[in-house]
Amino acid sequence: MIELQSISKSFGQVKAVDKISFTTREGEIFGLLGPNGAGKSTTIKMIMNILTPDSGSILFNGNPLRESDKDRIGYLPEERGLYRKVKINQMLLYLASLKNADGSAVEKRLDKWLARFDLSEWKTRTPEALSKGMAQKVQFIASVLHDPEFLFLDEPFSGLDPVSTDVLREAVLELGSRGTTILFSTHNMEVAERICSRILVIDHGREVISGSVADIKSRYGHNTVAVEFDGVIDFGSLAGMVRNVSRYPRWVEVELLEGASPQALLRCLVGQVSVRRFEVVSPSLHKIFVELVGGPEKAGEERMSG
Amino acid sequence: MSKLARIIRMEFRLTVANRVFIVLTILGPFLIAAVTIMPNLLSTSVAGMGARPTKIALLGADPRFVQEISPAFQQSRIEVSAVQRSAESLDSQVRAGTYDGYLEMPADLSEVTRLEYVTKSSSDFRVLGVLQGVIGKAIVVQRLVKAGVAASQVASLTQVPTFEMRQLTKGGEKKENPDFITILVTGLTLAMLLYMTVVLYGQVIGRSVLTEKTSKTVEIMLSSVRPMDLLFGKILGKALASLLQYGIWVTISAAVLKLIGPRLGVSIGAGLSMSTLAYLVVFFILAFFLYCSVYAALGAASEDEQHLGQLAWPVIIFLVIPVVMISSIITMPRAPVIVGLSLFPLTAPIVMFLRILVGAAEPWEILVSIGLIMAATVAVIWLSAQIFRVGILMTGKRFRFLEVLRLVRYR
Repeated sequence: MIELQSISKSFGQVKAVDKISFTTREGEIFGLLGPNGAGKSTTIKMIMNILTPDSGSILFNGNPLRESDKDRIGYLPEERGLYRKVKINQMLLYLASLKNADGSAVEKRLDKWLARFDLSEWKTRTPEALSKGMAQKVQFIASVLHDPEFLFLDEPFSGLDPVSTDVLREAVLELGSRGTTILFSTHNMEVAERICSRILVIDHGREVISGSVADIKSRYGHNTVAVEFDGVIDFGSLAGMVRNVSRYPRWVEVELLEGASPQALLRCLVGQVSVRRFEVVSPSLHKIFVELVGGPEKAGEERMSG
Repeated sequence: MSKLARIIRMEFRLTVANRVFIVLTILGPFLIAAVTIMPNLLSTSVAGMGARPTKIALLGADPRFVQEISPAFQQSRIEVSAVQRSAESLDSQVRAGTYDGYLEMPADLSEVTRLEYVTKSSSDFRVLGVLQGVIGKAIVVQRLVKAGVAASQVASLTQVPTFEMRQLTKGGEKKENPDFITILVTGLTLAMLLYMTVVLYGQVIGRSVLTEKTSKTVEIMLSSVRPMDLLFGKILGKALASLLQYGIWVTISAAVLKLIGPRLGVSIGAGLSMSTLAYLVVFFILAFFLYCSVYAALGAASEDEQHLGQLAWPVIIFLVIPVVMISSIITMPRAPVIVGLSLFPLTAPIVMFLRILVGAAEPWEILVSIGLIMAATVAVIWLSAQIFRVGILMTGKRFRFLEVLRLVRYR
């Protein structure tokens, strides 16, 4: 269990983290969400004891982090790299040995992970020729090779192609189901929605919202409808029943006003366009995030990067 | 195995497996041998170089005199012969290459004050030196014999006594000290060794620390080990590799010099006493680690290799200062400035070593000096660790020194 009690950190005049508190439970996948510069990385660095908080405390199973606890933690920092001149297997085994993990079990795990990420042929090569995404997968292996109890991943999905994202997401989910406590930061809401049991959203160093994904969704669960259609909708004609519309390339997410019924909306739409899908849904985490943290221009940006 | 030991092992392996390291290790002794032997070979001896002997005509010399002195020329591969003919014809023979040169000898050698050596070459100082040594001595002997001294007594009568210095120490006992030249050469040896090592390995260590930042592995490493362990591990790993290389160099060079040296007429008799040698090793190793840690700090503070190079060159000045001042240090070892330099960690190794050689260092001064060097080394490594941590916040930005000190407080 990791417990953050009201930690703060400033760099000069800038308050990077402002009284953040949260607790992760054993074996859960906890998402630390927020836009760029929100303070996610700073928070993780403080948990890793690379930065010291100005105030507040961080407890591991009730105690401050000791040097020996580092062996039970896996860490994938945002700034990550590999020694250019060292063979990949040599580098990975070295990093595991610095966590006091060595022997044939580690080597077996190494082969398994390399195979899983389709990197077996790179085993005895140096990382100089690796693509960014491949290097990132190697760095992920470095963070899990010693079979840690806690895993901290800082933006693990940034820069990965969709296939690699899926493979990595599966790996994270599997580790979570085996009891590893995982804390990861991201601004990719879709990934967070799919793998986190609980989240904390921060912005400008402050907590915006926290809780289980299901709770947050129901809390912000206004009457929302997803519509897929062919044609052009005249949104002006819906003014009486619609609070907000989020447009995506092939569909829209319509938030209804209090008291307006989805049935009335459907009747109205059928007159204008040919409806291919009409579904009453809970709002996406993405939408909640945008609503809480930023304007529509940010939403587009997040979407593109996701 | 501790984490520190693992880091040391990794850094050692990385260094030793490097191609440049292997090539340097193998070629080093030959370079050293070449540098030590070649000048001797070229200037004092032509033996074994495949050159033909130098032929010199002694114009108008007594054949018996020539027979007496010719054995003394053999070692220098010079053949002398008595010739009776005109100087003009000899000139043309020298031009044609029959002789390398000739010496005009008057009939009465004991009266002569000046002899002229005629040759094509304008810089044959080696031959001139040998001629002067052998024939000059023979002429002096002739004069003495003429004056009535028995030939057998000449050698002992012309022997100049050797002068040695004995120094009175506080305890009252007399102590033998090495002579000025030995001190100078030994002091310069330490300075040169340090200079070479610092230039070679200081940069290697600085670059190795810098690599943690440029390859962005620093945070991954710090999630497993303390910054101090990381830096100590890097410095010790590289240092062990360099000491291994030095060990190989010294062993091979010594063997080469011992085997081939005598044949080439090169002496290796440095004639160092055991205690001098011990001080040399102690101060070399102390200085080596201090300078390594300074370079580690510079590596932690710099942002790329070019920046590291800019930061690194002023460090060399601290090795140059003692070399520039070497004669002052030997002649005035107790001057306040010199005492100060022998305690200031960066100059202390060479200056204190020289003061010990001339017997002007109190035991407590030596201990204080060693203590200060060690304390400075640990302090510099501690500072590097702090800079290292701060560097994580600052990746990609240039450091200003004051900024570093200010940021060290953040942590």
